[in-house]
Amino acid sequence: MSATPQERLEVSISINGRRYKAPVEARKTLADFIREDAHLTGTKLGCEHGVCGSCTVLIDDAPARSCLTLAAQADGHRVRTVESLTEGQELNGLQRAFREQHGLQCGFCTAGFLMTATALLEENPTPTRDDIVETVSGSLCRCTGYQTIIAAIEQAAAEGAADTQKHDEQEGDVL
Amino acid sequence: MKAAKFKYVAPRSLEEALGHLGSDPDAKVLSGGQSLMPLLAMRLAAPSVLVDLQHVPGLNAIEDIDNAVRIGARVTHRAVEHSELVARRVPILSLAARHIAHPQIRSRGTFGGSTAHADPSGEWPTVLLAVGATMHLQGAAGRRDVHADDFFVGPFTSSMEPAEILTQVSVPATWDRWSFQEAAVKAGDYGLALVAAVASVENDTITDARVSVGAAVGSVTRLREVEQLLIGAAPDLNTAERAARVATDSVKPISDIHGSSDYRRNLVGSLVKRAIVELKNGA
Repeated sequence: MSATPQERLEVSISINGRRYKAPVEARKTLADFIREDAHLTGTKLGCEHGVCGSCTVLIDDAPARSCLTLAAQADGHRVRTVESLTEGQELNGLQRAFREQHGLQCGFCTAGFLMTATALLEENPTPTRDDIVETVSGSLCRCTGYQTIIAAIEQAAAEGAADTQKHDEQEGDVL
Repeated sequence: MKAAKFKYVAPRSLEEALGHLGSDPDAKVLSGGQSLMPLLAMRLAAPSVLVDLQHVPGLNAIEDIDNAVRIGARVTHRAVEHSELVARRVPILSLAARHIAHPQIRSRGTFGGSTAHADPSGEWPTVLLAVGATMHLQGAAGRRDVHADDFFVGPFTSSMEPAEILTQVSVPATWDRWSFQEAAVKAGDYGLALVAAVASVENDTITDARVSVGAAVGSVTRLREVEQLLIGAAPDLNTAERAARVATDSVKPISDIHGSSDYRRNLVGSLVKRAIVELKNGA
């Protein structure tokens, strides 16, 4: 038998393109690793048992609840958090749409919604309203009533499609 | 971090994983963790060791074999939901996958994990009982196959031995008609009642059928009285209405904060009717 069960182990996780290595307890969640070891506190913890969706991050590009994943399970995998969406003070298109559509009030759930929506738009840049509703149904927001969040994702999708077109035109110009 | 302390190991082979399970009676398998992690967080489960299957080879395939589709235990709900092979050969799985929690759960939770967990409100246990699936188990002593009728023996209880691992499930692709119905308070919630129905149909007569109910009852259960009524009948609205009455009369639902026994009894009747109407339409 090559490996022995360990109560503490060294994990190495790529978060937002940077590698974080730390010895952790086996019972430590990925959410706690992100906040306490990587010191990336944009990811919020609400219920800590998989109901609220606040802690949603992308693991290997798929949306996942970081409270329902052990740090040990994420060893060697790629994680993206809300901090990956932008550098510095500039908001990206999705974040800007959330602000313009009033897609948040207290903001506690927002990182989870942003990462869930990021995964949706990466997989399907032109989602229907039903696709968006299905996607956000996995997150709880107690402030907005969801309509403004759905509107924000619709706006981001519409603008993203426009961006792609612009990009295509630019490539056309170069050729 | 709310779980009690445990040890963790991620073996690279099935033999190694079985060794860990065999050497510690309180060791548990970790697959996607989407059911286990909440249990750990609430300290309803306190295993000594978690044996993570993510690096065990051979558990990730969806394969077309003679009369069945064989699904590896580590295949995610999402992979089942998006599989073209599943949609073509065993479409009831595609229908049911959309009811499993939310996309963020479906990307991590696994087919084998949910099946072995044997949650009475689980979509896979309900569907696998209806279609008559075969579970492929591996223990230290060798492989064995268990039919769904003998696998789900109670709430959160299967006939697996503690030191066995569910490696694949073979889902028969031989049924002509399939239907899956679920009633939940809101999308992604645990269902109040689930009904799965399959049938073989020749010359507008049902020649064989299996119907199961989940969530409304203590453990996933076949509705044998409904099956008996269906066999030999025409798949039509009249049969659907009679089946609904038989289901309402024969099912013994649970009562809890989410719904009374009488409410669930009527819900099961309604879902059975819808399921048989879908069988009629060849869904």
